[in-house]
Amino acid sequence: MKAKLGFFDFTGCEGCQLEVLNFETELVELLNHVDIVNFREAKTEREDNYEIAFVEGSITRESEIPRLKKIRQQAKIVVALGACACLGGVNCLKNFRPMEENLRIVYGDAARYYDTIPARPISSIVPVDYYVPGCPIDKKEFLKVTKALLLGKRPEIPNYPVCVECKLAGNVCTFDKGETCLGPVTRAGCNAICISNGRHCWGCRGPVDDPNTNSEKEILQKHGLTVEDILNQFRIFNGYLEVSK
Amino acid sequence: MENKIIEKQNMAPFVDNLINAEAEVIGPKRKDGKYAFDKLIETGELCLDYDTTLLPPKMYLFPPKETLIKFELGKEPKVEPVAEAKPLILFGVHPYDIKAIELLDVAFSTTNPDINYLSKREKAVIIGVDCLNPNPNAFCPSLGTATAETGFDLMLTDIGDSYVVAIGSSKGEQLLTKYAETREASQAELAQRNSERQKALARYKVTLNISPEELPQLLGKSWDSPWWKEKSEKCLSCGSCIVVCPTCFCFDVQDDIALNLKEGERYRQWDGCMLADFAAVAGEGNFRGDKESRFRHRMYRKGKYIWERYEKLGCVGCGRCASACLAEIASPAETFNKLKEESK
Repeated sequence: MKAKLGFFDFTGCEGCQLEVLNFETELVELLNHVDIVNFREAKTEREDNYEIAFVEGSITRESEIPRLKKIRQQAKIVVALGACACLGGVNCLKNFRPMEENLRIVYGDAARYYDTIPARPISSIVPVDYYVPGCPIDKKEFLKVTKALLLGKRPEIPNYPVCVECKLAGNVCTFDKGETCLGPVTRAGCNAICISNGRHCWGCRGPVDDPNTNSEKEILQKHGLTVEDILNQFRIFNGYLEVSK
Repeated sequence: MENKIIEKQNMAPFVDNLINAEAEVIGPKRKDGKYAFDKLIETGELCLDYDTTLLPPKMYLFPPKETLIKFELGKEPKVEPVAEAKPLILFGVHPYDIKAIELLDVAFSTTNPDINYLSKREKAVIIGVDCLNPNPNAFCPSLGTATAETGFDLMLTDIGDSYVVAIGSSKGEQLLTKYAETREASQAELAQRNSERQKALARYKVTLNISPEELPQLLGKSWDSPWWKEKSEKCLSCGSCIVVCPTCFCFDVQDDIALNLKEGERYRQWDGCMLADFAAVAGEGNFRGDKESRFRHRMYRKGKYIWERYEKLGCVGCGRCASACLAEIASPAETFNKLKEESK
């Protein structure tokens, strides 16, 4: 019998769901093994008999909380999809400002019609079984996790820093080029795509299980960043974590 | 060992002939202010006066990721071993990397011969070049790896207007006869080679204050040293040291399955003892779950365990790890010297 999948979105740009739709050829092949019963971004018909829920987006409104809990109740397996769902992501930038001020900046005079709460990852509300991190997610990794679930295996995503993949990509270290990078504490799996393309790591995949953030902060300071610069670096994607506070 | 001379103006035609005729030629090329081994398209890319490369040339014999078997699931599963190898010329390999490959040769051929490594190794020609501009973190002279007498097919030494070429194998000699214009080396030129090698020794900035033979014993009694904890506090567990290492040969094995959920492959990829999950096992256990024990283990491998198993040191002093380590803790020389000092 085919497994029934659902895709759900909370606060985010929906880019991770779009990435799934970008898989085109792979998606068609995947449909030999699964029924996608709920995917607002892609189809009109919706059923709530899904077994595996892929959840995108962070939680930023009270009204999202019961909806997320209902999904958790229905699904046997919940997979957080992308930086917002896994970490809170860029939405957490607003957490460092009073919520009223956020509402005023975004909605102006209409602010009184909206509510907002500090942004948070879905794991702060419900238990999450597996993660597909990244901003956006990596296609290969999404498929790897999905295939593992279909085979009843535990999905393996790397628990080592980006440095491993960056070195293997043959890159000269960002620090050696006079810049700084969050690669040494960030979970690999992206093949160091940003660094290979001339930028540095922003930490969109979140930290490894046991990151040495003290050592990383010392290294960043040694390479010219102030404490404020360092916090700003971490806050881009990891504002929900203690390291950014 | 027989020695010839290739004049500098004849080096480019030699390399070009190899590129055009024999096999894929891999050599050190410039990369963002550093050097990296890569496939040579033309001679001009080759930099024989490099200090060291980002990654070691072992990656061409033991690739970072490599398929071991292909399989097809079903009532009667099909399994097919894969060992791909093609003729390869590694051009411009430094003596310390040659010594590292000699260690890999032993490690991959004893007890359980590794056909994936050995089939690549068999088809590889190694053309070495003496390292006259060492990396500031290198300490090869202390380990006897600044020059090599074995492990190469040809070995070049830049003596100014020409290269002395030591012939290490009949395969090397054949390449030379077929593709290079050479002449006999004079006594004066051989003396010049010695002098260049001597001058290079003086350019190394790091020295080991202990002879390599004493390392296993020193490490043996340093298990409880406070150094391990103190120094490893800053470790990022980022694996940079083990990825750039020419002697590390550990790997992880995983399966990848196609979208049809039937066909798949089993592959291996580099893994290493400085990564947090390296010694993790089922049931959430981890034999080396803290930075301190991982840091100590790596140093024990480099100076003791490998020696005890293969009678070769697990470190060739190339300095790549020290250059790659942002936390500045990875240099085996620093640790060995510190332990020596503590033991006094």
